[in-house]
Amino acid sequence: MKQRLWLKILLCVIGVGFLYPMLWMILTSLKEKSEFYVNPFGLPKVWDLGNFSEALASLDILKYSFNSIIYTFFTCLITLFFGSMLAYCITRMNFRYARQVTLYMSVGLVIPIQVVMIPLYMMIMDMGLKGSRFSLVFPYSAFQMASTVLMLSAFLSTLPKELEEAAAIDGCNVYQAFFRIIFHIIKPAVLTRGMFIFISVWNEFAIAQVLGNSEKLRPIPVALQNFFLSVGVSDWGLIGAAVVMTSFPLVLIYCIGNRQIENALTAGAVLK
Amino acid sequence: MNKFYTKKGKLLFALPGLLLFSVFVIYPMIPQILISFQSHNGAEALGYVGWNNYTNLFQSNVFGKVHRNTYFIVGCSLLIALPVSLLLALLLERASAGVRTVFKFGALFPSVLSVTVIGKMWAGIYDADWGMLNSILRGIGMEQLTRSWLTNADTVVPCIAAAFLWQYIGLNCILFYAGIKAIPEQYYEAAIIDGAGFWRASICITIPLLQDIIKYVVIISTLGSMGMYAHILVMTAGGPGDASRSVLYQMYYKAFSMSQFGEGCAIAVIFIIECIIVSIIINKCIAKEPIQY
Repeated sequence: MKQRLWLKILLCVIGVGFLYPMLWMILTSLKEKSEFYVNPFGLPKVWDLGNFSEALASLDILKYSFNSIIYTFFTCLITLFFGSMLAYCITRMNFRYARQVTLYMSVGLVIPIQVVMIPLYMMIMDMGLKGSRFSLVFPYSAFQMASTVLMLSAFLSTLPKELEEAAAIDGCNVYQAFFRIIFHIIKPAVLTRGMFIFISVWNEFAIAQVLGNSEKLRPIPVALQNFFLSVGVSDWGLIGAAVVMTSFPLVLIYCIGNRQIENALTAGAVLK
Repeated sequence: MNKFYTKKGKLLFALPGLLLFSVFVIYPMIPQILISFQSHNGAEALGYVGWNNYTNLFQSNVFGKVHRNTYFIVGCSLLIALPVSLLLALLLERASAGVRTVFKFGALFPSVLSVTVIGKMWAGIYDADWGMLNSILRGIGMEQLTRSWLTNADTVVPCIAAAFLWQYIGLNCILFYAGIKAIPEQYYEAAIIDGAGFWRASICITIPLLQDIIKYVVIISTLGSMGMYAHILVMTAGGPGDASRSVLYQMYYKAFSMSQFGEGCAIAVIFIIECIIVSIIINKCIAKEPIQY
């Protein structure tokens, strides 16, 4: 197919356009404070790391990263484990209520997580989970459950029935059949889903802002917002440094696993 | 196989997931409805007030305004972002592998950033003194158009919408592109023999065959933009005044800033009904048989 020059240029410019704001933040963070106001867009004249050390002094990145890691890890674990089991049950176990359960789970696709934050907040208080990291892990897992179950069901229903029949003949019970055979077959789909959950929970802000907004519990996005509120609106060098440092882990993962992330983000489209 | 799939096995497999989902997603809607009929300050209920919370909402101007803002953003994402990302995906299909890699890398990049980062970057773009937008306007000699974008009640909502759509346009585009790639070659071969150009082939072949994925993108963009609230919280905190609040921001504000949890819950109940109606409408309008190639 003939490739036109304007098409090439247009697509590349748009592609780079998506990266430009982050690039601007990186350049800004490397400028001295006074330089930004005279030269907001060019390359820094003096490359200066002062902003980073200043941001590090008031933003305990290690602690907040640790919180974020805990939330993402346990959410992935709980959702993928119980989600694949539920998906297995509704697709392959001759479960009588499979249709109803699928319909019930799809409610979770329609309702955004933020809508129930008021009763969720009260429930967490009543259950005595306030101040515990599980006050975020459980709601996250529950909300990721819907799409996870529906996606894994779509995948599981394509596998042949003979898998379990062969397992039964060889003397496996259903638990062994699932954990030793089926789980290994659906592993790619589970990992893809895990990547998606990882990205969404790592960046989740709405619920964390309400349930996890204490010094001990804050994940990175909420901590960053608090940091912004405390530095004021015009110290762009400092803001840039904080943005660059907190985005670094995911940007790094994005650069390494670009292909996997693309799969993870588009895999949801099989749900209809 | 009935002996293989025991009753106990089914229960063990289904129960944990269902329980978690029911307790944290479905169940909260029940207290939500109950509290919407109460006066509640977050710590304790102060008694039932009947439909008062609801009538208060419908009488206040803010309730109409937050709906206008929310559906303005929904409109932007369906009428601007969706066609643009579809067009980009169609163009992307015609580009070489190298260009495609560059474009895809850029397009998905905003999807891995947190809303706090996106919000602040765009606040930088809109900054009145050093922001990119005003600097460009000054550069091309249109000084009279510069303004403080995020503190101006007329421009604040479109500005937030732009930041929000920027984050998802690339993802939508890649979703469409994945759909286009799944269409078998021979459909196009026939079209090329018949002499169809880019536009004709796109409109007559690609877009009808993309129906499923278009429907999916319509659903996620509609519900996603309806539920938008974090971008607003980060960029303007609803301001100036109440100019840029969305429905969910208003709910958050009522409950957690004003301690009027009853009214907050009433907003949420109305909003859930809206979500359900909207998804039924979408399903009715574009629901057809799934396409088999």
